[in-house]
Amino acid sequence: MPRSIAIVEDEPLIRANYVEALTRFGYEVRGYASRPEAEAAFAMRLPELVIIDVGLGDEPEGGFDLCRGLRSRAAALPILFLTARDSDLDVISGLRLGADDYLTKDVSLHQLAARINALFRRMDALRKPADAESVIEHGPLKLEQERMRITWNGEEVPLTVTEFWMVHTMVRFPGHVKNRDQLMREAQVVVDDATITSHIKRIRKKFLAIDAAFDGIETVHGVGYRWKP
Amino acid sequence: MSLRQKLLLVALSMLALPWAGWQFVRQMEVLLRQGQEQTLIASGKALSRSLVAINAALPPPGSAVYVHDLTVPIAIDGYGDDWSTVRPYFQALGPATDAQKVKMVLGKDAQWLHGFVEVRDRTRQRADAHDPQAARADRLELEFSRAGFTRRYWLASAAPGPFEALPSGMEGGPLPLTITGEWQEDAAGYRIEFRVPTSQAPDTLSLKLVDTGEPDAIAGSEPMTLLHYSTSLARELEQFAPESTRVRLISGDGWLVAESGAVAQVQPRGETEAPSWLARWAYRWLIAPALQGTPALAQSQARLDAAESLQALSGVPAATWRAGSSPGDVVLVAAVPLIVDRETRGAVLLEQTNTALPLLTDAALKRLGLVSLGVLALAAGVLFAFATWLSVRIRRLRDGAERATAADGRLEGRVPLTDSKDELGDLARSFQQLLDAIAAYTDYLRTLASKLSHELHTPLAIVKSSLDNLEHQPISSEARAYVGRARDGIDRLVAIVRAMSEASRMERAIASADAEDFDLSEVARGCAESYRALAAPRDIIINVPDQLMPMHGAPELIAQALDKLFDNARSFTPEHGWIRIGLEPDATGMVLSVANQGPLLPAAMHGRLFDSLVSLRDGAGRGDVPHLGLGLYVVRLVAERHGGKASAHNLPGGDGVEFVLHLSGMPRESVASRAPMARR
Repeated sequence: MPRSIAIVEDEPLIRANYVEALTRFGYEVRGYASRPEAEAAFAMRLPELVIIDVGLGDEPEGGFDLCRGLRSRAAALPILFLTARDSDLDVISGLRLGADDYLTKDVSLHQLAARINALFRRMDALRKPADAESVIEHGPLKLEQERMRITWNGEEVPLTVTEFWMVHTMVRFPGHVKNRDQLMREAQVVVDDATITSHIKRIRKKFLAIDAAFDGIETVHGVGYRWKP
Repeated sequence: MSLRQKLLLVALSMLALPWAGWQFVRQMEVLLRQGQEQTLIASGKALSRSLVAINAALPPPGSAVYVHDLTVPIAIDGYGDDWSTVRPYFQALGPATDAQKVKMVLGKDAQWLHGFVEVRDRTRQRADAHDPQAARADRLELEFSRAGFTRRYWLASAAPGPFEALPSGMEGGPLPLTITGEWQEDAAGYRIEFRVPTSQAPDTLSLKLVDTGEPDAIAGSEPMTLLHYSTSLARELEQFAPESTRVRLISGDGWLVAESGAVAQVQPRGETEAPSWLARWAYRWLIAPALQGTPALAQSQARLDAAESLQALSGVPAATWRAGSSPGDVVLVAAVPLIVDRETRGAVLLEQTNTALPLLTDAALKRLGLVSLGVLALAAGVLFAFATWLSVRIRRLRDGAERATAADGRLEGRVPLTDSKDELGDLARSFQQLLDAIAAYTDYLRTLASKLSHELHTPLAIVKSSLDNLEHQPISSEARAYVGRARDGIDRLVAIVRAMSEASRMERAIASADAEDFDLSEVARGCAESYRALAAPRDIIINVPDQLMPMHGAPELIAQALDKLFDNARSFTPEHGWIRIGLEPDATGMVLSVANQGPLLPAAMHGRLFDSLVSLRDGAGRGDVPHLGLGLYVVRLVAERHGGKASAHNLPGGDGVEFVLHLSGMPRESVASRAPMARR
């Protein structure tokens, strides 16, 4: 039985393209043009993954509201944000909407498919017991690769998939400096230096929210970042 | 010329005020003078009427010959040099055709009445008076009358020398029996000097000249009264004269008959002090510059031939002013005809020195000066204050306008004075509108790139996802090539759009950066070391001190700025050239510098180097992401965020360029204002 995906996107051409592409990848896809339409459909039946555009028609932040509503109903539902504005990324993390990932709209369909795949994998992994082989433990940090889950002192850090992969890159070889290109490649995002910097900042914030004394990620100026051994 | 100076110049127009006041004072003074003239003329008239009423011995009507009081003894010698004091008063009694032919003067001392006659006569017939030939000789016939008696004397001489003139009538009463005298001649004529005792002096005298050479030129005169200076009349004058006034009585011919008083200075009542020299001077030159009176009247003269006396003798009172003896004094002269039985028998001249006028006008002038000065100072002060206020406001407006337009066109704050109701307020509001318009436009321009990129995102996403989908369609291999090209193009477009929005994203990122305490030297050294590999084969020189250089700021931003500067330096440095990264403390903070060997900066770029979207590089190579010149703009933003500035200059040696960041650190937030890390 194919997994069901809902796309909430106000631009009909993009919606149609995504729907077609994801259908081709073997998902059951439904597209919705506006928040009310989507909410009406979700009231009937929840999909297994939702892709939401932040700006919905005449609601420039309608996607956030939709996300909030969904989270209150289904805590584990993977939600992926699509946005045309980089500034939204800060908002998304700032609002602690609990998005599992976010992508800018110029992402290629392959990348989108990879993200969706990863999210589904993570969902499945969370239902299974943790695979010991794919767990990295480093001091108070515990990283479960399959589940894409990171805990700090036993408390889960709510990282998005992108952020998870960045941490994963650093934690696999603690003490090794990872430059921005490497981080970008691992996280499979095409962004610039500044975005990497802000990603790292957001990751730090999420750790700091759990442990105010956290300083696991070290900046090596002019080179990149490393996980403190 | 500043507004203030201009307004002060305008204030000088107030100088018209003292001028107008001065004119007014002059007018007043003229009126006062006219009043005084009227008064003096009136008292002159009263005086003359009083004289007539008391039957004073006034000069008789008709012609008269004046008897001068002699001050020098007269020698009867026929020469006129001892008459020099009265020479101006010789009376010409010649015929109408030649009045100067006979000139006579009389004078008296205690004992004698002296006479001197000059006759112009080139042809002479000489004979003594008692000679029978005398009737055909040149002679002077004198006729004396007194108390009804008349005697006629022939004055003639056969030769120069003494003579005796015998009377022709015997019944002479008190008149002298003979007149002794001296006769002298020269080529131009002859002179007769004679005398009679004063006790025998006549009341009237007539004179007849017989010139045998010129029978037509027989000059004869009416009987002429002998006119003396009268002390009794002077006493009477003194009774009637106003005080501090000189009164002179003159006969119908202008001879001085009586005089009393002196031209003294009048002390106006209630005034204890005489006018100061300054007041006198001011009066003389500022108020009464034109004094038309005859100066000669000031002296004591036997005959007053001035215009005033002539006018009075013609029957019309006259009043004039002349300068007094001491500077600043003015003397008022009034001449009033002396009329007895509708016949002008002479005139009375009254003269008064006037100090009241100088005093009055001086007081007026002083007050005027003070008032003018006060008003002028007040007006100047008010204008100065107003101008100052105005220029302060204008300056505030200008400063506001300058402040509002920050160096890079960003606007901050509002223009002052926009609430004023006057024209400056209008101007300020216009400024504000202009600045608002500029701000809006600048804002539009600044956000244009990000807006544009934002707008382009969606269509790009459509094209991109469409191409992705197209790849999964069964299409010919030729078409696939086109799809590939379209994908290349779209990738490049995406890169351009991302770069376009990078500026505003960077601005946001820099503005929201959190400050922490870090060691700047460590950051600089770390960055510089990491550039070694990137810079090869170029040489990296690191001039960073080992000591701790604490800085409050965002290290990742500084590192980013360094990255941009290094990237910039590397692209301009020739291979095997050098790049030098330095750090040193200065007065206000730290100076971070990146210098490199390479081409110098073009002069035109100096001011704009750190602006957004300015690039010195050549167009991007094919397939490259275009270089939009954001690097140095980011550097500048970072420097400004750290309370400093970025600058660039050519090295003094001329072999390269140095970019300098002055950093003083971000402002420290107080612990209280720092938002606690809340878990939302």
